Amino acid sequence: MRSRILRQSANRRSVIKAATGAAAGLYAWGIPGKSYQRALAQESVIQQILAIPGAGAQPTESDMQRVGELVLEPTKANVQPGEFQGQQLTFLGLNNGGVHNLVFRPLSEAGQEYTGVQIEWIDLPQNEVFARVQQSIVSDTIDFDVLEGGAPWEGDILGQGLASAMPDWVATQVDVADYVKLLQPPVGTWDGTTYRLSIDADAHNFNYRSDVFANQDLAAEWSAAGGAQEWGVPQTWQQVQAVTQFLSGKQLDGEDLYGILDECAPWGGFGWYFFASRASAYAKHPDNSAWLFNPADMTPYVNNPAFVRAAQDVIDALPFEPSDQVNADGNRTWQEQFLAGIGSMLHWWGDVGSNVYTNDVSVVQDKVMFSILPGSDDVYNNESGEWDTLPTGPNFAPNEAYIGWGLYVMNRSEASGVNKAAWSLAAHLGGKDLGTWTAVYPSGFQPYRTSSFNEDLWATTGLPAEFVASYLASQADSYNHPNGAIEPRIPGIFQYYVAAEIELARAYAGEITAQEALDAAAAAWEQITDDIGRDSQIGLYQAALG
Amino acid sequence: MQDTPALEISEPRVASAASPEGRAIFGRTLIRVTSLAVLALIVMQFLKTAGVTEMGFANWRPVAVALLAWSASLCLGMVLSRGQHGERAVFLLPAVLLTVAFVIFPTIYALFIAFNSWNLSAAAGRQFNGLDNYRQLLNDGGYWNAMKNMGYYVTAVLAQYVIAYLLAILLNQNIRGRKFFRVVFLLPFMLSPVAVSFMIGKSILNSQYGPIIPVLEALGFTNISFYEDPWLARLNIMMLDAWYSIPFMMVLLLAGLQAIPFEVLESAKIDGASSLQTFLHMIFPLMLPVSLTAIILRVIFELKLIDVVRVVTGGGPGSATDTISLFIYREGIQKTNVGYATALSQFYLLIIIIAITVVLWVANKWVEKVT
Repeated sequence: MRSRILRQSANRRSVIKAATGAAAGLYAWGIPGKSYQRALAQESVIQQILAIPGAGAQPTESDMQRVGELVLEPTKANVQPGEFQGQQLTFLGLNNGGVHNLVFRPLSEAGQEYTGVQIEWIDLPQNEVFARVQQSIVSDTIDFDVLEGGAPWEGDILGQGLASAMPDWVATQVDVADYVKLLQPPVGTWDGTTYRLSIDADAHNFNYRSDVFANQDLAAEWSAAGGAQEWGVPQTWQQVQAVTQFLSGKQLDGEDLYGILDECAPWGGFGWYFFASRASAYAKHPDNSAWLFNPADMTPYVNNPAFVRAAQDVIDALPFEPSDQVNADGNRTWQEQFLAGIGSMLHWWGDVGSNVYTNDVSVVQDKVMFSILPGSDDVYNNESGEWDTLPTGPNFAPNEAYIGWGLYVMNRSEASGVNKAAWSLAAHLGGKDLGTWTAVYPSGFQPYRTSSFNEDLWATTGLPAEFVASYLASQADSYNHPNGAIEPRIPGIFQYYVAAEIELARAYAGEITAQEALDAAAAAWEQITDDIGRDSQIGLYQAALG
Repeated sequence: MQDTPALEISEPRVASAASPEGRAIFGRTLIRVTSLAVLALIVMQFLKTAGVTEMGFANWRPVAVALLAWSASLCLGMVLSRGQHGERAVFLLPAVLLTVAFVIFPTIYALFIAFNSWNLSAAAGRQFNGLDNYRQLLNDGGYWNAMKNMGYYVTAVLAQYVIAYLLAILLNQNIRGRKFFRVVFLLPFMLSPVAVSFMIGKSILNSQYGPIIPVLEALGFTNISFYEDPWLARLNIMMLDAWYSIPFMMVLLLAGLQAIPFEVLESAKIDGASSLQTFLHMIFPLMLPVSLTAIILRVIFELKLIDVVRVVTGGGPGSATDTISLFIYREGIQKTNVGYATALSQFYLLIIIIAITVVLWVANKWVEKVT
């Protein structure tokens, strides 16, 4: 692997980088009065920002400052220069992988200069952020005006009336109608009032190595080994299992090959999503929107045969995965492994796609394509207790994992007189043009606007058209899938996830069986439901299911 | 001429604020009034919080400020009312008040919380649930698994002691570069355990990128992983822990060795004792109090182990390297199950107090017997 990284030579990425770098670099420096800038000024704002820094490059801080400056016009339409002079905002967000808050900071610098507002940033790692927020809520010490939060937390935040309703001018400025279907109400709303300003949409998609599945030598070996279907991208989890076993011990270009990369270590509740992606095709029946709990009484489904089968799949695949995979968390699977060339298949959020050509650690340019999550030949029916084979073919149920990050302005901002400043900052960061830029470049966010799915726009960055089409299709098809596995926006949802991932980790390590682990998880889920209040949870879960 | 003293006797003594007695009265009054005021505020806020009355503050912050003001008035009142004795007390009072505020009160409050079901997501808030948390604890396999791991980690302290002892003896010799090695051997102790965990545990021992991997591959090892096997993972955690902990024990033992009177060792030498005999019959017994202090201090630190495990394995694979502190962290912080996490902490504290008390008593008896 080390040698692979060192061997990076001229490839499409470096060529693109060279071609776009000089021009974009000139622009990023903002050299006033230059002919290059005058030419760009005639382009739309979105075309201008997508050229910064251009495909094949990771945006620098000055790139992001420049982008923040270019998308300031909508703010200027609603805020006078210096209007927030003397006001201070506190923004609580993430610092994962050098993105999130670390991208927001330079993006908001021009806005700070224009409005006069001062921003104090609170950075937290992903696996600690919700616990920090919840402690602030309970101890009545909310010390932030703007929160970067997830839709699953809305039961805890909006349900307790802690957030400020979105003003009409903000809804107009950011064009909320442009949000993808997944983010339309009820997401972001509570009792009919909108609180959330979206900056992301989340679903797990399937990232695979196109060079592996197009390799003729492997195809021949697969056929010789009695492969059940043509050598190609697996369409079902059953095929993923078979391919993972087949690839074990094989090499491509002198490097060891591996199949699926499973996330096995607890990750502050986020580890649950990787297991849920393995399970959704087994557990989410097209005839039933509920797949985690029985909506009548909140009895967990997590220990039913569908989830047990998914856990057993991971246990069965682990011997064929890279060493120490049992300790791999989400950060390792996508950055240290998949982008670094280890593994052929990965279920993850769309960050993988937006980093293939733009992240400095990536060595898989021109080798990655995408689809929605694999399906299953049969699906478990909670009503009948039987496995159903659908007449339409395999059951697909993309895991709408986490729904997406959003910005929430807290009530505290009203009391301290900074509410408009807070909403202005949120509207700037969640602006329409910026939404496409954050989807294209490493930011921690995926496309969340219909307008971001314009392939022509992505093409202007120099990304290969086939890559863009594959990536955007995997995202759009996941967001809009009729059998999408939606997670409930109920209070304490991460407690359920943490409890489950701890038990699953024990099963993956061989301490207990899959059934024992999920029985323990189900017992913990029952306890959590009782602790939080079963009746209220039933009502909120039913409301979340629609 | 008439004497004036008659006038002095007949004139009533009026205590003024400037007189010592007046100051004393003022001081006592200040303490009583402010104490009553702050007590009234606490009761008022408590009744508001309990939903009995409407009167009170939005939160406890004003009461905390009042307590600070009361602390200042208490200090002032002590000086005024008790003079020099009061001044002496004032030197201690801040420490006493801080101890009460940050140790005694939280401990008592935690004891109370431990008898409650308090899930931070629960709309109903905190609910008294009697002994339920302790019943749950007794049947919690994860907690007892972590307790078992603590047994392993504590046992490893004995190995650390042996290594630290050998290093201390080495550095107590008249060797070239002794001072240099003393500083070098202390370096790991100066580093943050989190930094050590990341540098060694996560980077050097990384199963994919670790610089040690090519070396091991050249030696013929394949599929190298330092944390996949439960026992190997535990051993690696123990070694990381030992790496920055041994210097601490070594310093204590070295100080003990240097405190042994030279005459004692010289007389043993004159009597013809070999180096081994001198160590077994002179140095080791004389060093027992220092050794026990070093071991017990390390055991207490070890019982709180969390940093290395949290950074390197997160308690995995599965729960193979889990510790009690990490288990409580997950329960209280990630699962926000405050009542149960507090009960786990209280129970652990009780076990530590009993175990350390027993160990100290046995150790003292043994030391008395040996020395």
